[in-house]
Amino acid sequence: MILPKFEYKKAENIAKAIAFYERYNGKVRYLAGGTDLIPLVKLRLSTPMAIIDLKGIEELKAISHQGGWLLIGANVTLFELKNNDTVREYFPALYESLDATSCETLQMRGTIGGNILQDTRCLLYNQSLEWRTARGFCFKMGGETCNVVPNARACFSNYCSDNALSLMALSASVKLAGPQGERKMRLEKIFSGDGRNPFTLMPGEVLTEILIPMKRSKGAYKKLRVRDSIDYPLLGVAVSIKGNTGKVCVGGIGPTPLVYNLKNINDSTFKDVAEKAYSDARPVSNTTLSPDYRKKMVSVLIQRASKKVLQEGK
Amino acid sequence: MKTMKVTFRVNDEKVTLQVRPYETLLETLRERLDLIGAKEACGMGACGACTVVVNGIPLRSCLVLTPEVDGASVTTVEGLRKDGKLHPLQEAFMEKGAVQCGFCTSGMILTAKALLDRNKRPTKKEITKTISSNICRCTGYKKIVEAVEEAAKKSV
Repeated sequence: MILPKFEYKKAENIAKAIAFYERYNGKVRYLAGGTDLIPLVKLRLSTPMAIIDLKGIEELKAISHQGGWLLIGANVTLFELKNNDTVREYFPALYESLDATSCETLQMRGTIGGNILQDTRCLLYNQSLEWRTARGFCFKMGGETCNVVPNARACFSNYCSDNALSLMALSASVKLAGPQGERKMRLEKIFSGDGRNPFTLMPGEVLTEILIPMKRSKGAYKKLRVRDSIDYPLLGVAVSIKGNTGKVCVGGIGPTPLVYNLKNINDSTFKDVAEKAYSDARPVSNTTLSPDYRKKMVSVLIQRASKKVLQEGK
Repeated sequence: MKTMKVTFRVNDEKVTLQVRPYETLLETLRERLDLIGAKEACGMGACGACTVVVNGIPLRSCLVLTPEVDGASVTTVEGLRKDGKLHPLQEAFMEKGAVQCGFCTSGMILTAKALLDRNKRPTKKEITKTISSNICRCTGYKKIVEAVEEAAKKSV
């Protein structure tokens, strides 16, 4: 498929990237690995005037330890992060989600920042312009209806990052830089809850760094997929525990992942969370698997993940 | 729209081109340089038929903008033949019958080459995992995995 016209600019630092953003009056998209962005542009789901390449920004490529945190630059590739010793040793949930992301070749290109900020997906959204025009535009394309759920008032597109789930289970935070300056917030806070515009990022902001508290954890990531390679999660469950507290994060259903805090973990904790998540999850028929099946699998995957996490300690 | 000057190496030869900023590496290779080994199938980064190796890393060339590879070194399947002799991977693919329609083959070979370059003796499991990055719709993967194993043995 042929790309629409746009200009290409390479930024050497974050200030330059933001300057480009302002020069084009915000009609730009930031490019990291491009594994999510380029298909969106090819499908005319995004039509920027210019693409600002962030891959030349050296400071976004580093992994370091500082003051009880592991700092991960947003441009670190998924493959590089997966092979990082600290990640393997301290954050097994993150290691497993990185390993489950797409396939090796795309892991070598895709970055952790881009993976977190990927657009939400829907079977009736990620289609060519001709296909979408024939069907009629939905909420997410600027229309006034949802093509999946008749008379719906919200967009049900699914957030398909594997790694954001495990990062949230690990209580990660993110650093953002934009025209208004820098800010830091908990990863949960970047979700707006609205599939049309899934993130709370302000216009022009760049995700620069991911921070994970350096505490050894036990964890697991379970993904529902049909092919075992090159596919997005149809449901993802991340579990991470430290001592007798922890978190369970469920994603791939709707635009915002569900997060459950665990305290005083005992034999019934995960069963309770599985039941709660089962009743909270609201899948609709916008993926290749039926909503009923995905809903049932929520509690199944939570129990599978918990089994693995609890066995690890023995 | 203005074109951009891009200089990079393709199969050890330096090329300088004026390209459109919205041109993919796959288009540049196929249409400007006549290197038609990389194929376009899905065009969305899913299938891997367009895989080329850029600075040692296998990439989907349909997702890479040509200006992004400025200064880089690109290897396509045409560049594997050295002094009139095929690469061990190419030999092994023929020997083991790992090719049926052949559309995915160049991508498979380049993905495997990048694997063998970073890991001289991969296990069968590692090969299977790496090769799962590419889609083959006719042979099944058994013979492809066998061919990569064979090539790994030969090149050591």
